[in-house]
Amino acid sequence: MMIQRSKFKDILGLNRRNQEYVRPYNSPSAKRIADNKILTKKILAKEGIRTPEVYKLIRTKQQLKFLDWDSLPRSFVIKPNQGTGGNGIVVFYGKKKGEMAWIRPSGGIMSKNDIILHIENILDGRFSMGNKKDIAIIEERVRTDSLLKQYSYKGVPDIRVICFNGVPIMAMTRIPTKRSNGTANLHSGAICAGIDIATGITTHAMQMDTSSPLSDTYEDIEVTTDLKENKPLRGIHIPDWDNILKIALKCQRVSKLGYLGVDIALDADHGPIVFELNARPGLGIQVANKAGLRWRLEKVKDVEVESIQKGIRIAKSIFGGEVEENIEEISGRKVVNINERILVYHRNIGKKKKGNKEYARAFMDTGVLTSRISEVFANRIGFLSTIKYFDTLEIPKKFDSLKEAQEYIDENEKKLTLEEGIKRVAKIVDDGEIKVRPVIEIKVKISGEEKEMEVVVIEDSEYHLIIGRGELKGYLIDTSKTFKN
Amino acid sequence: MNYSPFTDWLIQNGISKGTLELLVAITIVATIVSVFRYMFGTKSYGIYAPIILAISYSYTGLKYGLSITLLVILISLLSYSVLKRIRMHYITRIAINYCLLTIGLIAFIIIIKKYGLGLENISNVPALALISIAGLSDFFIKQFVQKSPKTSIMNLVSTVLVASAGWFIITREYISEYAINNLWIIVVLIIVNLLIGQFKGLRLKDYVRFRSVVKEKDDDSKK
Repeated sequence: MMIQRSKFKDILGLNRRNQEYVRPYNSPSAKRIADNKILTKKILAKEGIRTPEVYKLIRTKQQLKFLDWDSLPRSFVIKPNQGTGGNGIVVFYGKKKGEMAWIRPSGGIMSKNDIILHIENILDGRFSMGNKKDIAIIEERVRTDSLLKQYSYKGVPDIRVICFNGVPIMAMTRIPTKRSNGTANLHSGAICAGIDIATGITTHAMQMDTSSPLSDTYEDIEVTTDLKENKPLRGIHIPDWDNILKIALKCQRVSKLGYLGVDIALDADHGPIVFELNARPGLGIQVANKAGLRWRLEKVKDVEVESIQKGIRIAKSIFGGEVEENIEEISGRKVVNINERILVYHRNIGKKKKGNKEYARAFMDTGVLTSRISEVFANRIGFLSTIKYFDTLEIPKKFDSLKEAQEYIDENEKKLTLEEGIKRVAKIVDDGEIKVRPVIEIKVKISGEEKEMEVVVIEDSEYHLIIGRGELKGYLIDTSKTFKN
Repeated sequence: MNYSPFTDWLIQNGISKGTLELLVAITIVATIVSVFRYMFGTKSYGIYAPIILAISYSYTGLKYGLSITLLVILISLLSYSVLKRIRMHYITRIAINYCLLTIGLIAFIIIIKKYGLGLENISNVPALALISIAGLSDFFIKQFVQKSPKTSIMNLVSTVLVASAGWFIITREYISEYAINNLWIIVVLIIVNLLIGQFKGLRLKDYVRFRSVVKEKDDDSKK
């Protein structure tokens, strides 16, 4: 019971968030910026940070009356300027031919009159905080980057980065689902996946159980829910990660919000684009990351962070690599660099007593569990015959699901592991495809420590070795120092 | 009944016992609302709604109070789902909702008079209490429109729950007697609120919400 309690100590609750972080670090004037999308856009533009382009601002019913509908592009988004939690946001994909009607992501159609009514509701303050009169924004629809698009059911996935004191503290990506009706809102059922700050790779994923009568009930999920071919949610490598962290910190600097959540989408043409700043970011991010915000915040509270680069470096070295343990445990850890030279022993074949060894270029990747080795490198250290044998087996190039791959393994296990070099076979996700690959055992030396480890042979890779989190327990990954080739 | 000298003095100087009871009841229910919000994490419709509800219930009795609440919500839901099909301004919609609510409550009282349904004493329910409960409709519809139906219903349930807890406390004879004879209790309530106002710990709800985060850590340490 005592242990349980101390674990709860790592978690940030609403009371503490408001009292220790939101109130002291976010001044009313800074909050006003975050709560006002137009102001946010203006302020961010000064720093050269992109936000969705505004087509029209509608402040009064008079302006609405004289709105030039023909001047609107085919696709656009309507947002209340001071809306909360994504309420009142309507997205249009295209215009219906020959009619004054627009098509929504769900396939539904809104006529000009429906849209006018919606805008009137916005102006009346139906979606704004405290029902104050509001402004309707008609703006550019972001076209999602192809990588994240694969995971999303309609809508635009976004990335939330929580920043405090110039350090990115925790991040997650929110992926729209059928349940969330194409919105990236956690409370309406979007999928949330925690992101490892060091690498930009997703770790755990969860979805709010909207059917539960209690609010804020989550369930862990492994794969996407509504796609033709559902994809695993772990190990998604968010593109342009360092740039995303940089933009989040820039937003913090320019908005003067000490504690904030920055919502960033990835536009196919323009890259990272900031949707909004949140002066009271939600706490569900802790569930997606399976980690508490409280100790992370306390850890960086008194640190002096002079530059954005330093903020990123601090975050990567302290919070990177699935950090879940307490700080005390961390201090006793061995440090490995994110890119590391690792000594690999050649396989002993025949009577040779002392084997050769050579350095491998390795990458620490907490997004995968089992470590990987490139085929070329495996051949070189003595597994040529093993891999040759495996290639003769005519295993399907890819599988539709992990289950199918497992069934294949179960059926053919004997045949697959006939060669002595093959310890077992494993199903892996590589480049978004599910494959069955051989696992071999190699001997390596990491941070002066010799150990045997199982690695999956993958077809090609930029690195000789990719060390997964299965082997990284007990190590601290330092991303600041990378060796030069 | 003997009162403390101070209470006696108050009553002799123009504050009726009933008024005093009510005013003290407000402070008690208000504190209950803050305990529920910051220690348990129940989200009620602000603080006004549960206070008014709890006090109304103390006039109607819990049975009548809850059945009128249920009726008010059902009529509001029904009228809202019909009215949302018609394009109109927000306030007019709410106004129509109140008209329908009035019709519904009249019909309800008539039906009860005729068939009983275990609520025979409905005509003894003070009109002001009835109206106060009907006012809940406003809070409910507002949330229903702005947030999801689920959130608004959950908040409604919490509001009624908090109000019922308030009703239970303020209708205990010995508590209200004690409170009006020991008015320093209001100072105590202020201090309690000051303390809750500084409370930074997790709410009961947070423990439920984040249990998976803690569970995961335990699993990991076992590996």
